[in-house]
Amino acid sequence: MKLTINKVRLVAAWTWDAGDDACGICRNAFDGCCPDCNIPGDACPLVWGNCKHPFHLHCISKWIGAQSSEQQKCPMCRQDWKFEARK
Amino acid sequence: MDRTRTRARAAPPRKMRIRAYERKPAAPPQLFSNAWERFLRPAVDAVHQSQPVPHSLELLYGHVHDIVLHRNAPALYDALRRACDRHIAARIAQLAALSPSSEHVFLAAVHAVWHTYCTHMLRIRQIFLYLDRTYIVHAAQPDARSFWDMGLLLFRTHFSSVATVQQNTVHCLLTLIDRDRDGQTVDVALMKNLLLMFTAIGTYDAAFEKPFLASTDTYYRNESRTLVASQDVPTFLKHAESRIHAESHRAVRVLDPSTRNPLISTVEKRLVSDHVVTLLDNGFSSMCDQHRKHDLKRCFAVLSRASDHMPADSRAPNELMKSRLIDYVKNVGRAIVMDKSKDPEMVQSLLTLKARLDDLVNFSFDGTEAFNMAVNFAFESFVNARENKPAELIAKFVDSILRTGNKGFSEEQLETTLDNALTLFRFIDGKDVFEAFYNKDLAKRLLYDKSASLDLEKSMISKLKHECGPQFTAKLEAMFRDVDASKDLMQSFKTHKLSKTSLSHGIDLNVYVLESARWPLSTQPSKVKLPQSLMDCQEVFKKFYLTKHSGRKLAWQYVNGSCRVKANFPEGTKFLELSLYQTIVMLLFNDADELSYSEIADATGIEELPLKRTMLSLACGKARVLLKRPKGPQVDAKDSFVFNKKFTHRQTKLKINAIQIKETVEENAATTERVFQERNYQIDAAVVRIMKTRRTLQHAGLLAEVFDQLRFHHKPADVKKRIESLIEREYLERDENNPQAYHYLA
Repeated sequence: MKLTINKVRLVAAWTWDAGDDACGICRNAFDGCCPDCNIPGDACPLVWGNCKHPFHLHCISKWIGAQSSEQQKCPMCRQDWKFEARK
Repeated sequence: MDRTRTRARAAPPRKMRIRAYERKPAAPPQLFSNAWERFLRPAVDAVHQSQPVPHSLELLYGHVHDIVLHRNAPALYDALRRACDRHIAARIAQLAALSPSSEHVFLAAVHAVWHTYCTHMLRIRQIFLYLDRTYIVHAAQPDARSFWDMGLLLFRTHFSSVATVQQNTVHCLLTLIDRDRDGQTVDVALMKNLLLMFTAIGTYDAAFEKPFLASTDTYYRNESRTLVASQDVPTFLKHAESRIHAESHRAVRVLDPSTRNPLISTVEKRLVSDHVVTLLDNGFSSMCDQHRKHDLKRCFAVLSRASDHMPADSRAPNELMKSRLIDYVKNVGRAIVMDKSKDPEMVQSLLTLKARLDDLVNFSFDGTEAFNMAVNFAFESFVNARENKPAELIAKFVDSILRTGNKGFSEEQLETTLDNALTLFRFIDGKDVFEAFYNKDLAKRLLYDKSASLDLEKSMISKLKHECGPQFTAKLEAMFRDVDASKDLMQSFKTHKLSKTSLSHGIDLNVYVLESARWPLSTQPSKVKLPQSLMDCQEVFKKFYLTKHSGRKLAWQYVNGSCRVKANFPEGTKFLELSLYQTIVMLLFNDADELSYSEIADATGIEELPLKRTMLSLACGKARVLLKRPKGPQVDAKDSFVFNKKFTHRQTKLKINAIQIKETVEENAATTERVFQERNYQIDAAVVRIMKTRRTLQHAGLLAEVFDQLRFHHKPADVKKRIESLIEREYLERDENNPQAYHYLA
């Protein structure tokens, strides 16, 4: 072997893995942030419901907060809203 | 008891009685005329002729005493006055006969008359002291003056009434003063004494001061006219300063103190105020140019003095100097900024210029705030005269300081340089350009470990934050956080079971996971093919990362990757620091000795431009680990490359990855493009914001408001394009009847 790699530094950029590219509530791109935030990314995270629909955390929280407890449904598919358990 | 009383009755007490004179006592007849004619007048005459007094002073004093006691004081006073009058009249008449052709002789004669007259009058006063003290003090007559005052009045009457004497005296004095100004020696004490005489007799103001100021005026008017034309400005200013100094010295030494102010202002007016504009036109910028601090300080001092005497229609000298300074700075600065060939030194030149001007303002202009502001104003105007480039260059300058390799400079020196660069940054309108390039350079420093000191980086960020607010630096700070978070992430990866795979390849894996919106990264998916070992590492890490952060995806930025490679050359083993692209290319030579360009391109999947650049760095740089066939300074698609078996180098560790750090033309263009894109959004936002409040607006009005809101330079044509695009996207619509008006569409 003429050459062997000792050490490598890779660079990766992460983005949200949300198929639909805009939030169903605020219509802003998932790559961007909700209307209340300035900087996208960790500061304005996405969440998924059990129905697999993603939203900005801030957007869905506001939505859920505005509903009475029996009517907390996903705005996209009207199923009962449950945060999908992810790490 | 009884006896005593009886005796007292018997002898009544004798009374003392004072009786009036039977005859009223009278002065001896002819007392006055006798005493005056026989004793006093000869004494007065003798004193005036500077001869010994024929009688004893005591006797004379006694006669005066007698005369006053016998109420003959008015007559005595009158007689005495007439006697003195006669004498001084004769003296002045003698002076009138004297020719004033020799000033010194004439003035000395005048002074001698005055001086002896004073001595004589004092002597006479001693004789007539009783008269002086009693009669004049108590006398009711308004014209009765103390003896001394009477003497002065007499002198004055004759001195001024014989016109030629006073005129000649003044004329001679003025001639002497002019001679003194011309540098000849004159009898200063004589002049001083004569001027004291003028003051004493109360004609100083009218007889001397007025003609003196007039002659001063003429003298300096003539002098300045010739000198301004013949001397250069610094010499003239030096001259003016010394003139002002000399005249103020003269005022103290010779003249009455009250003359000082009118004298100095006459001199200032004729020497300086009349020529302010000419002086500034001829010398100001060249003095600035040659950094003649002392001359400029003098200029400032002298010209500031002139401010009270400027013609009504002219601006104050300070204002004039300020505008000259602005013009000068603008010219010099524009020459630096506009010259494209000097771009690499632009920032350094500007810093030098700024430091020089600060020094000038502090030293020469007393650090006056107005002048500081003038310099700043001029900087602001010329730095923005060229769009975008100065901002870019300042960002790069800052990058060059923050990057490793500034050895030999202390932390404080670097801090100061950063502060200076920041003052330039302050002048710039298009701060977004700076931000974009700073962002890009910071990304490189962080990704390639090129940052000289984290403290310095942090301090720069806090400076920027202070300058432009937290909004401006939020993105930059987040970049630091990403790097820190990535280091933590790698710590936990190394303890994770998945990391064993990468270890099995003997590769120490490091990954920076960046948040895409914060970093200036390319968004296009890469087609680069990694060698299997790296591919394995990458997949393992991806798996690890996604278990930690679900709902995310990773886009690998191979352009920014880097490796350390152990290379076994026949002549010795080397450790190479390579970019990921270089590594991918080099690893191909594990299985081959010679590869053509197209083979390499196929095997790596690297695009043409970066691949050519990579091959160039490997085969045509300083350390040539590959050999190009045929040789040449450029990489062509028909070339082929051979592993350099004879590679030697005195170092064991080599860095060949400098290529990554250097800014490419495309990168520069991309960064600028990003700025323009960002600006378009800002224009859009401004237009929509304005239209939302106004609902309907004419084109010109909209443009004006947009101009107010935007903090970077933009052309009306750009805004117009954005308006078109907003109409297309149905944010706005044109008025049906008036094509100049827009309506907001909710």
